[in-house]
Amino acid sequence: MSRKVKRYILLLLIIIITIIALIGYQVWNKPHQDIKNAVAAKTNAIELYNSLSNDSANTKAFFINKIVAVSGEVKQVSKNQQNQQVILLKTNIADGSVNCTMEENIKNVKAGDMVLLKGICIGYIGGDNDMQLPGDVFLVRCYPSD
Amino acid sequence: MAANSPIKGQVYFTKNGSISFFSKTILQNIQADNNEVISILNLQTGALQFSLLNTAFHFPKAKMEEDFNENYMESDKYPRSTFKGSIANIDKIDFSKDGTWQANVTGDLMIHGVTKNITTSGKIIIKDGKISAAASFKILLEDYHIKIPSIVSNKISENIEINIDCNYEKK
Repeated sequence: MSRKVKRYILLLLIIIITIIALIGYQVWNKPHQDIKNAVAAKTNAIELYNSLSNDSANTKAFFINKIVAVSGEVKQVSKNQQNQQVILLKTNIADGSVNCTMEENIKNVKAGDMVLLKGICIGYIGGDNDMQLPGDVFLVRCYPSD
Repeated sequence: MAANSPIKGQVYFTKNGSISFFSKTILQNIQADNNEVISILNLQTGALQFSLLNTAFHFPKAKMEEDFNENYMESDKYPRSTFKGSIANIDKIDFSKDGTWQANVTGDLMIHGVTKNITTSGKIIIKDGKISAAASFKILLEDYHIKIPSIVSNKISENIEINIDCNYEKK
C-alpha cells in the first residue's frame, strides 16, 4: 500500500471519528423539551384530576408524560425546597389538587385567581385512605400559558 | 406545650417533599431532584410513608433523564417508588419542643418493582412548631435489579446516595 493511500485512509478515519464524536456530543447535550413553545392538550383541573385519580387506562395514555395546558382556580401558592413556585389548582375533592411546579414563576398570583398553566403531566400519586388524605395530580416544569 | 406545637395523634403530610440522589463517578457526577414527593407522618404511631413518580426526577441533562426512565428504572413498567415503614423511636421525640431528634426508621423500600426491608436513621427537626425530616442513605442498584449496561458501567456508580428533605404541614 502506497504512502498516499495510507494517508487517505488515516484522513478518512479521523473524519469518521470526528463525526461520531460530534453526534455523540450533540445527543449527550441535547436540550430539555421546550415546554413553553410546545403544543399542549387542553383540559381543566377538575377534569384532569377526576380522569387520572380514577386510573382509567385511556386517559392515562392521553395525558401522562404529555404536555398539558390546565385551566383552574388557584387554591394555594407556595415554594418548594428548591425555591420553585408551586401552584395548587382546585378540584372537586377537598384535599386533592392539581399540583404544578413552576419553571417560570407567575408574579402576584394568589388563591382565587383563574390561571392556565402548561407543563408535563407526570400522573397521579395516591394519598392514604386510612388517614383520609387524597392524592394529587402532578405537573412539572410549568409555565403560564395564554 | 406551646399553642402552635404539634400534638400527638395528628397526621402531618407534604405533597411537595424533596428526594434527590447523587452518584459520584470518575467521569461525572450524576444528580437528580424530585420535588413532587408525597409523604405522610403519623405522630402517634410513628407510621411514615413516601411515594413518588420516577418520571418527576429532573436531571441537568435531557439524555440522562431519558436513560434513567427508559433503560434503568423502566418507568413505564414501574412508575412509582415507595417507602412504607415507621419511626421506631417516635416515643422519644418530643414534638412540643424546638430541636433536632434522631429518628430510627425501618420499613419497606420499593424501587423498580423490588421491595427490600431497610433500616436507616434520619433527623426530625422541630422549629416554631413546624416539623421537617431529613435523611441520607445509600442503596445498591443491584439490590433493586437495576442493570447498568457494561458500556456505561464505568460512568455509573453501583452505590447511589439518596437524600430526603420534607417540610410537613398538619392535615
